[in-house]
Amino acid sequence: MKKPTMAIAGLTACSGCQLTLLNCEAELPEVAGCFDLIFFPMGISGGDECASVDVAIVEGAVSTPDDLETLLHLRSRSRFLVAFGTCALWGGVAAMKNHESRTELTKIVYHDVAGEVLTFNPEPFHFFVTVDFAIPGCPPEKDELLALLSSLLRGSFPVFPIYPVCTECRNRENRCLLVEDNELCLGPLIQAGCGARCPAAGIVCEGCRGPVAEANVASEMELLMQKGFPREEIISRMRRFCPEWNYEQRH
Amino acid sequence: MQKNFLSNESFPLFLQGLAASGDLHGPVLTDDGVMAFRPICSPADIQLDCIRTLIPPKKYFFPPKEAILTYSPVKGYQLTKAAGKKVILFGLHPCDLAGIAYLDRVFLESQPDPLFVKRRKAVTLIGLSCEPDEYCFCGTMGTAEPQNFDIFMHRTEAGFYLSAGSSRGKKIIRRLSVLLEAREPPSPVPCECKIEETILQAATRGETFSESRLWEDFAGRCLSCGACSLCCPTCYCFDVQERGRLDGETAERLREWDNCLFKSHGEVAGGHNFRKTREERFRYRFQHKYLGFGPMRGIVSCVGCGRCRDVCPVKIDLMELFREKANIL
Repeated sequence: MKKPTMAIAGLTACSGCQLTLLNCEAELPEVAGCFDLIFFPMGISGGDECASVDVAIVEGAVSTPDDLETLLHLRSRSRFLVAFGTCALWGGVAAMKNHESRTELTKIVYHDVAGEVLTFNPEPFHFFVTVDFAIPGCPPEKDELLALLSSLLRGSFPVFPIYPVCTECRNRENRCLLVEDNELCLGPLIQAGCGARCPAAGIVCEGCRGPVAEANVASEMELLMQKGFPREEIISRMRRFCPEWNYEQRH
Repeated sequence: MQKNFLSNESFPLFLQGLAASGDLHGPVLTDDGVMAFRPICSPADIQLDCIRTLIPPKKYFFPPKEAILTYSPVKGYQLTKAAGKKVILFGLHPCDLAGIAYLDRVFLESQPDPLFVKRRKAVTLIGLSCEPDEYCFCGTMGTAEPQNFDIFMHRTEAGFYLSAGSSRGKKIIRRLSVLLEAREPPSPVPCECKIEETILQAATRGETFSESRLWEDFAGRCLSCGACSLCCPTCYCFDVQERGRLDGETAERLREWDNCLFKSHGEVAGGHNFRKTREERFRYRFQHKYLGFGPMRGIVSCVGCGRCRDVCPVKIDLMELFREKANIL
């Protein structure tokens, strides 16, 4: 059987998602054996920028004209485009100030040369192109990446949990930081798959994996406000990894 | 008269004796303060006053997530083999024993589940009497009277009155009888709760509370976090997934706990969902819990442990439906 061809690339991001692949040390030889890596600038010198591929796994948010051009190019030459990580899927940390003036923000960072910086609000891929599959996470879980690669070999996509972090957290018999300790935990709103890693270590869910399907945002807001958290603080925390929430959404 | 009384002084020795029959597990407080069934390292760790653990004992027979089948081109389909390590599970309240009895009917009767069978056989159930709190209503569901135990220990100030519920239990008591003495057990104190009759009557007449406004209220508040079913001793819904391995040839089939409030619970291939709204899912949950489905129709599977009411972050309580109808709010 012909090996599926693959491109791995990044837009505006920290490269942490691509590093997730390199962190699969035990599985890398197998991955290299199963896939033909045509283009992976972070891991392999050279590479063909123009060849068509079966799958393009791409991280980062779309934040510059160059990003958009790269994304359109990757879309047009790949059979499947995978949004890899929370930036690609929701906007991520780079988008947390999308509600503020881009011009002002650019000035704060770049001062005198701000005018020369070509940038717009960081946005997820689906604002611009059709996305075939997405892996959430900042960074994504190794297991989910490997599950995707395994499924691709069979011509399908894996099924990821359609429930929130709380489910995995309860199953681990963790202490509920939201109910027991009245902390600002976003667990009920956030897509599971991380095994509730942070709450298991006593740290609230910061929401790095983005919204779960049908998140009851309004109810979580009410609950947190009953616990004494100001609405602005809750919104600011929710925006950290996903800039656009419908705060009235119940279903 | 049979030797049936274990003094508090002899209790640690009794536990040591139990541990000779298998790994001793019971309710302990975890490092971050969660009540959980765990291995007992020292008798002092056992929480005799435990009201309820977060996750019920079902995890011993039916873990949250496990591979149930593997496939390889060479060996074909192979069922996973459970280790079946002997466990002495101490501190099961009557509600938890009733929960296990219900799961026994689900997993051991018409279509025995091989993994459940093996694990269930390997676990010895040691019951313990308890003091209910404001979340319990165990008297109500007929679970105050212990059932389905190997040994039941009725706790009093001076010690425990033991009774055997199986030949396995009798053997253990006989083996440890040197620690026991003969005493007349105290007469049981009847446990009363007003809601019992209401629930059982409603279940008998197939009540669905279809006109209640509470469904909308529940659906509006529910976070779909899954806690109510994960923590329920009788919720057994599971999801099955196929996970191919990276070699492109071998694969495993996973089973994991599901919850009827999840979007995917009623979803089928092609994206159709039999229960699109959270309100429909709540009605379904109620009907499964109190009216039963299929061969379990007519069996109330709520054992009154109070876990779902206790753990729900937004304090949803299905009991409100009964109370509303019976005007006993």
